[in-house]
Amino acid sequence: MDLTMKLLVVEDEPKTADYVRQGLMEAGFVVDLARDGADGLHMATGEHYDLIVLDVMLPSLDGRQVLQSIRATGNQVPVLFLTARSSVDDRVQGLEMGADDYLVKPFAFSELLARVRTLLRRGGASLSQDRIQIADLVLDLARRRATRDGHRVNLTSKEFALLELLARRQGEVLPRSLIASQVWDMNFDSDTNVIDVAIRRLRAKIDDNFEPKLIQTVRGMGYTLDIPDD
Amino acid sequence: MTDRFVFLRRPASLSLRVTGLVGIAMLVVFLIFSWVSLRLLDRHFAGMDEEELGVIASSVIRALSEVQDGSDAQALRRAVRGHHGVYYHVADATGKALYEPKDGPDLARFAHGVPSATVAAGQDMTIWEEDGRTYRGGVIVAGGDGELSEVYTIAVAMDIGGHLDFIRSFRRIQWWIICGAMCIVILMSWFAVRWGHIPIRRANDKVRAITSSKLYLRLDPTSVPIELEETIASFNDMLGRVEDGFEQLANFSADIAHELRTPVTNVMTQTEVALGQARSAAEYREVLYSNLEEFGRLNRTINDMLFLAQTENDPGNLNLESVNLKETVLGLFDYFEALVEEREVKLEIRGPGFPVHADREMLRRALSNLISNAIRYTASGETITVRLSQTDRDAVISVENPGEKVPPEELSRIFNRFYRASGSAHRKGEGAGLGLAIVKSIVEAHGGSVSALSDERLTKFHVLLPSTNN
Repeated sequence: MDLTMKLLVVEDEPKTADYVRQGLMEAGFVVDLARDGADGLHMATGEHYDLIVLDVMLPSLDGRQVLQSIRATGNQVPVLFLTARSSVDDRVQGLEMGADDYLVKPFAFSELLARVRTLLRRGGASLSQDRIQIADLVLDLARRRATRDGHRVNLTSKEFALLELLARRQGEVLPRSLIASQVWDMNFDSDTNVIDVAIRRLRAKIDDNFEPKLIQTVRGMGYTLDIPDD
Repeated sequence: MTDRFVFLRRPASLSLRVTGLVGIAMLVVFLIFSWVSLRLLDRHFAGMDEEELGVIASSVIRALSEVQDGSDAQALRRAVRGHHGVYYHVADATGKALYEPKDGPDLARFAHGVPSATVAAGQDMTIWEEDGRTYRGGVIVAGGDGELSEVYTIAVAMDIGGHLDFIRSFRRIQWWIICGAMCIVILMSWFAVRWGHIPIRRANDKVRAITSSKLYLRLDPTSVPIELEETIASFNDMLGRVEDGFEQLANFSADIAHELRTPVTNVMTQTEVALGQARSAAEYREVLYSNLEEFGRLNRTINDMLFLAQTENDPGNLNLESVNLKETVLGLFDYFEALVEEREVKLEIRGPGFPVHADREMLRRALSNLISNAIRYTASGETITVRLSQTDRDAVISVENPGEKVPPEELSRIFNRFYRASGSAHRKGEGAGLGLAIVKSIVEAHGGSVSALSDERLTKFHVLLPSTNN
């Protein structure tokens, strides 16, 4: 991914705004920050951004109005809506007005980051690739087969889907909720440790008898698949 | 819609209704009574007059038969005595007047204008006005038989002004009586209604005394008139429901405070202690990780509570579509696959596949909570069964798991928020005890119901969802 992607964050809550900016910058993005709706609109129409993170509740001009004005100029920049209320109305309204995704506060930053990356990838990413290789792990996407160090690994279809998700987003921390949503279409917090168990079982097949260990747990955030640094 | 409400006025007051109705009823009764009594009086006077006129007519006939030639006006004048305001006229067959009263009405003309009749029979009596006076009279043609050889025309009349005056004053008095009686009736009924409402006002005062801190107060249904008993009983029932809801809400607030306080205290303590002295980067990282986990739990609890509040406050907010129940359950089995294999339990589905009218995401969430709950309490080697069936009105989903009997007192509280089975400690990774409360709120938002049963062998959760055709 092009790491010089430029994002605009429109958020009035100072602490949230600062940490979201810092987090996104440390994830490799160039981030501009607007602290109210009017500034946000001004910046969004004046400069090119690859993605806008837009809070709904804003002083002077609320997120919905900002989004409408942006879309009215024909600007199709991806917009991630941050809403405080998770009422269906809010979501539907946001998506209908042209938001590309939404996230309900309070949210985890890892979730925000994962969504931002998903949206940025949506445009040009090569989903059509049919082979992914990470170290000696090879995924044959067309035949839905995985090999490690040349050995065939037997995976169920869901296990393969999980591995594919992790592999496609190599190096990204994927929160449990995102994994549940992408692999099982479970779009709500489940109070079980299904994802942990599924990862453990996948690990047993992919990592247990091989080095390096590719699937890593990021405490409190989620899982990532990458070649360890050390 | 709004146009309709413009015309909807507040119904008339009860006092007005009762008073008005009683007033109208009394007025009708009085008017009928008045009309009947006037008719009777009129009839009575008519009868009296006819009798008197008949007497006069027969006196005249007797006089005529005595004098025989009929020319003796003196004898005719003498024929009738002791009668005041009575006039008579006698003419022979040729129409020549044999006797004319000195004053009174023009009976000659009357005699010619009115065809012959029999006064005594009370027929064809005529009332007419002449010179400002009112007369009642009749014409009789007599004679040509044994008693009278000649034929005579006799007209008799009497001044009935006195009678009419009496009737008029009677009517006037009657009107005054009616008006007076109406006033009394209206006043009395108004008082009666006010007095009748005293128990209502008294009950009202008691209701007023029930403040939010005194929701335990009830009204005594036996202290009010029998007609109000039902209302008071209903009111007490409603109050009971309000009290329950209020108590639940109060408990819920307390629960929320408690649920949030514990993790917040943990985080605060941990952070303060960590900052108390210089530590290595690894130690700081450890504190941050620990805090993150704690916040993650808090976040889930908050999201669940928000979800509950939304589903309960706005149950209409559903994205209803036709959902195949069996496919949905099998999809969830797929999700739980890894977990059940690790726990060494089995998932099984029985029953036909059929569509239900539901919000797909919500339904998945509810069923997912039921299944994960079942997995949690099932020993390894056992099988959890999801049964699907249909009745005329409902789709029935039951989730059964073998396990220890849940005591009845726990079973009744199992759908309460923050309820956790006694014995089950707050295990890591488990929710805040809102799972089954969420199931209940989702099912109820769909117009269905959920219940739990437990015996020595099995614990069952039954979900009833209104059928598609409704």
